[in-house]
Amino acid sequence: MTGTVVRATGLTKRYGSFTAVDAVDFSLEENRIYGLLGRNGAGKTTIMQLLTGQLFASAGRLEVFGREPAEHADVLRRMCFIAESQRYPEDFTPAHVFKSAPWFFENWDAAFAEQLVSDFRLPMKRRIKKLSRGQLSAVGVIVGLASRAPLTFFDEPYLGLDAVARHIFYDRLLEDYVAHPRTVVLSTHLIDEVANLLEHVILIDQGRILLDRDADEVRGSATTIAGPRNTVEAFVADRPVIGREGLGGLASVTIDGRLDQRDRIQAAELGLELAPVSLQQLIVHLTGTDLAGSTEQENAA
Amino acid sequence: MTAVATAPVVRTEARSRAHEIWRIVRLHAVNPSIFFGIPWMIIGAAWAISLIITLIIRAGSGGDVTTEDLDNMRYSWAVLSPQWYLVVVGVQAIGFTFSFALGFGTTRRDFWVGTSVMFLLVSIMYAAAIATLVQIEIATDGWGLGAHMFDALWYGQNWFLDFYTSFALQLLVLFIGASVTTVYMRWRMRGMMILLFTAIALLLAAITGVTLTGSWPSLFAWFGTIGIAGVFSVVLGLAVVSAIVGYFVIRRATPR
Amino acid sequence: MDESRPIFIQIAEQIENDIIDGSLPEGGQIPSTNEFAAFLRVNPATALKGVTRLVDDGIVEKRRGIGMFVTIGARERLVERRRAGFAAEFLRPLIIEAEKLGIDIDELAGMLRAERIQS
Repeated sequence: MTGTVVRATGLTKRYGSFTAVDAVDFSLEENRIYGLLGRNGAGKTTIMQLLTGQLFASAGRLEVFGREPAEHADVLRRMCFIAESQRYPEDFTPAHVFKSAPWFFENWDAAFAEQLVSDFRLPMKRRIKKLSRGQLSAVGVIVGLASRAPLTFFDEPYLGLDAVARHIFYDRLLEDYVAHPRTVVLSTHLIDEVANLLEHVILIDQGRILLDRDADEVRGSATTIAGPRNTVEAFVADRPVIGREGLGGLASVTIDGRLDQRDRIQAAELGLELAPVSLQQLIVHLTGTDLAGSTEQENAA
Repeated sequence: MTAVATAPVVRTEARSRAHEIWRIVRLHAVNPSIFFGIPWMIIGAAWAISLIITLIIRAGSGGDVTTEDLDNMRYSWAVLSPQWYLVVVGVQAIGFTFSFALGFGTTRRDFWVGTSVMFLLVSIMYAAAIATLVQIEIATDGWGLGAHMFDALWYGQNWFLDFYTSFALQLLVLFIGASVTTVYMRWRMRGMMILLFTAIALLLAAITGVTLTGSWPSLFAWFGTIGIAGVFSVVLGLAVVSAIVGYFVIRRATPR
Repeated sequence: MDESRPIFIQIAEQIENDIIDGSLPEGGQIPSTNEFAAFLRVNPATALKGVTRLVDDGIVEKRRGIGMFVTIGARERLVERRRAGFAAEFLRPLIIEAEKLGIDIDELAGMLRAERIQS
């Protein structure tokens, strides 16, 4: 039933001595919503540009809809990627973008686009250059939604969008995804708000994949244990530690892995505090410390 | 759990290459001010200025104007005024529209072919317009004032020669702007520097070569024998070379 | 939504709560997974996972082409299951905390009764 839309093996992109994407392996399954997460400059945009044939890989294999994407019209026409820093033709307005979009996206829904324009209150006749950051994001979001491309990328889609606009985006995305299932890749460094929309999470840091798991598995897969330093250290002794903070005789240690009922009771008896780790916090732990990197390999082993 | 990724692509709707190319032409034309509006405004403005200058010359000479005074206007470059802007249009077509078209899922190949079709159509339109305006200017005796805006430089011999020369020049201007920009899109600043220095070196070498062998007179003589049509055939040839080079360069170009 | 546990489990529990308190009566239809997804702003696959969990437990049954319905006897089974887990989930932590504070069992029982009267 489910097909593999993207398969990358050893995918690498180098710029001179800088490696933006470092031999990553991953695949994307049909009709799922993926979160491509990571800090700014982690390599998210580079991966999306490779997938959409905008960049050429330095090494590795990449198949999108069964073949190398670059210069293959039958693959490219099934994708939509409006980059966060997308360049538009000189003097373009949103009206020009939406007028030309149906020539490129065969599933384009003009009525839906129109509804989104009024939802986001996007000025159609204002030059793209003069739009605010939020309005510019809205242009990309509208194209991404109304194009109904089988593989749609949203690159940092809510930069500059206010809370109301962000919720419009989530609601419309979910509604339309249910009615017209497709593969969606959401790239972002702001995670908590979208965490519940994602079915699968791929976490990138410095061009490498740190985490590639179902969102449900990730949720609650880490716990922070706080209490007297010695007790905490004894409790976490043989567990994979991904974050460590301390204050005097107190310590707060984050471990990767679920605690079962027995662990919880033991922790309570020892007088330790347990706190859930949100996806955002987990990612901060995984990408923010020098402990990162080894975690996923340990888990995979 | 996963199907084999090499399974054939499920085709949604058959699309002809002609369609894929034509949509690039439409994309270039969706904002008509770029290729049409602004060039026509420039032509219009140049025309108005030419007429005003004619009136000033007439007024200055106290009504005692000779055709020679006005014939000096043949050396104004007003008729070529939109060309400078169209170099910029060629640059923007690649610098901005290329990145956008890739985001909309086109191939580099179709983008370049579609852009070339657009350049061809635009060149035909302007060449026909200018050649016709030359004839109107001659027929109305310089818009009734003896002005020379279109009937200037080498123009005015016959409609077909005017059309051919305008067409060749127009095409060169657009393709030079576009193909040089493909070099930037592929190799960025380093490529531009190498291109610039190579071009300067080649030019200097050619000048030195011609000077050392004392062939300037024979070169000019050659230009004399091929005539205006021949010179613009060289121009057209350069345009075609730019178009072909641009095609190969853009095939591996990456958007900014 | 609680950040510490998988959302699909929370969705399943939420539906269970609605069945226990009677707002979703036995034999009644429950909203579709897409309606849950839209309402809770979660991925439809996650909502489906939550409902599937209930189907697997026999709490909810699928009727092809119509929708999902609460099975007869679902409420009783849920209450039984919750009772079984009650001691481990609620009493154990309570007793640990009480011991920490030096509250013995009789005192604790008294406190429980007093709390009940107040509420």
